[in-house]
Amino acid sequence: MLSNSILQINELTKTYGSRESIKIAVDNVSLHVKRGCFFGLLGPNGAGKSTIINSIAGITQPTSGQILVDGIDVVKDYKLARTKVGLSPQEFNVDIFSTPEQLMDYMAGYYGVKSETRKEMVNSLIGRFDLEAHRKIKFQKLSGGLKRRAMLGRALVHTPDLLILDEPTAGVDVEQRHDLWAYLKELNEGGKTIILTSHYLEEIEHLCTDIAVINHGRIVAEGTKEEFMKNGKSIEERYLEITREDNSSKK
Amino acid sequence: MRTNWIGLYTMFRREVGRTMRVVIQTLVAPVVSAALYIFIFGTVIGGRIDDFAGVPYISFVFPGVLMLSIINASFASASSALYFMRFTRGIEEILIAPFSYIEMLVGFVGSAVVRALMVAGLILLTGVLFGAVSLVNPLGFVFYVSAISAIFALLGIIVALWAESFERLQVFNVFVITPLTYLGGIFYSITFLPDVAATITRFNPFFYFADGIRSSMIGYSEADTTIGIFIIVGLLVLLAVLVTQLFKRGWKIRS
Repeated sequence: MLSNSILQINELTKTYGSRESIKIAVDNVSLHVKRGCFFGLLGPNGAGKSTIINSIAGITQPTSGQILVDGIDVVKDYKLARTKVGLSPQEFNVDIFSTPEQLMDYMAGYYGVKSETRKEMVNSLIGRFDLEAHRKIKFQKLSGGLKRRAMLGRALVHTPDLLILDEPTAGVDVEQRHDLWAYLKELNEGGKTIILTSHYLEEIEHLCTDIAVINHGRIVAEGTKEEFMKNGKSIEERYLEITREDNSSKK
Repeated sequence: MRTNWIGLYTMFRREVGRTMRVVIQTLVAPVVSAALYIFIFGTVIGGRIDDFAGVPYISFVFPGVLMLSIINASFASASSALYFMRFTRGIEEILIAPFSYIEMLVGFVGSAVVRALMVAGLILLTGVLFGAVSLVNPLGFVFYVSAISAIFALLGIIVALWAESFERLQVFNVFVITPLTYLGGIFYSITFLPDVAATITRFNPFFYFADGIRSSMIGYSEADTTIGIFIIVGLLVLLAVLVTQLFKRGWKIRS
């Protein structure tokens, strides 16, 4: 584990299915995320982004390899490792009859946050994500944008060291997206490490300091944002170049 | 890492909240059913039957009625809560939280037992109103009620993991729990049965569940108490080990 790493992935492989019809979702991926950085994980649909994220968070069981969060093995010492991670997943994995307030309160409780701190944290996040008028409305009745904000609140409620956001602004309107960007930047500047996946490449360009591109389950490019944008190219142009090149090399 | 007590308490708190959210289904319905059983067996039929085992017929039957309600509440709570969490992917909230596999087990089983005990408390109150309740061994009663609730919570978890549809959730209840409960001597003494049927009944674990609760309430037992305790504790340990292993493997909950 490198001393400045918050996340170290070593030769992670995840396969699905039986021997006859095996599908490799993640193929021998190694990745290093520096503490305090804003890390963008890019790739087309089905490239393996969510599988990597779910393996870090404990939703997916790796087939082989090792994942260390803050030096802690997420399989061997899973309980401690999970206290370090906050996840806002792409899909809404919630009890749809719960309210945003309950979702945050229950999640903080699951993480062992004491009652007083929990109430303060929930109130603060509800205020920060402008959910006051919706705090007691059932999740299923919220708009897409409000749902996303509730999910973000839930991911942050136990103050994780590593925040993982899988498509956090999908369905969020432009104004709210910019507000959210400002908040995420503020969080990152305060020292929180954030891993972000998004199909909005301007979001990655605006927020991230480090970027990796995954295609067909393998990391095909990795570096700082500046390295990606050298020669005056945008992230989008570089991303298309990298993925097209990789796709054509596989044909 | 230390035991996640606040996390466990949150799981219980959430289940109580879920129970209260659908209070008619979770608390009112079992109490109404139990009240009808007590009324029919106590007043309508019981009035025409002599005392049995030194107690009125309703006092003989009441432990069985209580057991039926506890079993249903515990099984339904565990199976529906977990299946619904799988269905909505809400289970991922538990998977990403710092719970050990044993804590997950305690959380799910404890939540179901809490609901079963809420139902049991209300039915006991109803029984008191009908004069059907006596309690000769309170500690034994607490043991039997808690252990039996836990067994059915564990079975509920296994069924919730196995089921791929809401219909399948009912299969175990309809084809296993209901027949074995009604054939386990909850409404009758096995001395009423022909020898062969009585012998077969002794191979039905539900007979020992009902007999245990009955012996703690009215002091009358038709089974060997040691065998009964052995079966209950054995099932509890076996199912707890099985469920912990299923959680550890992430069967049907972790990809």
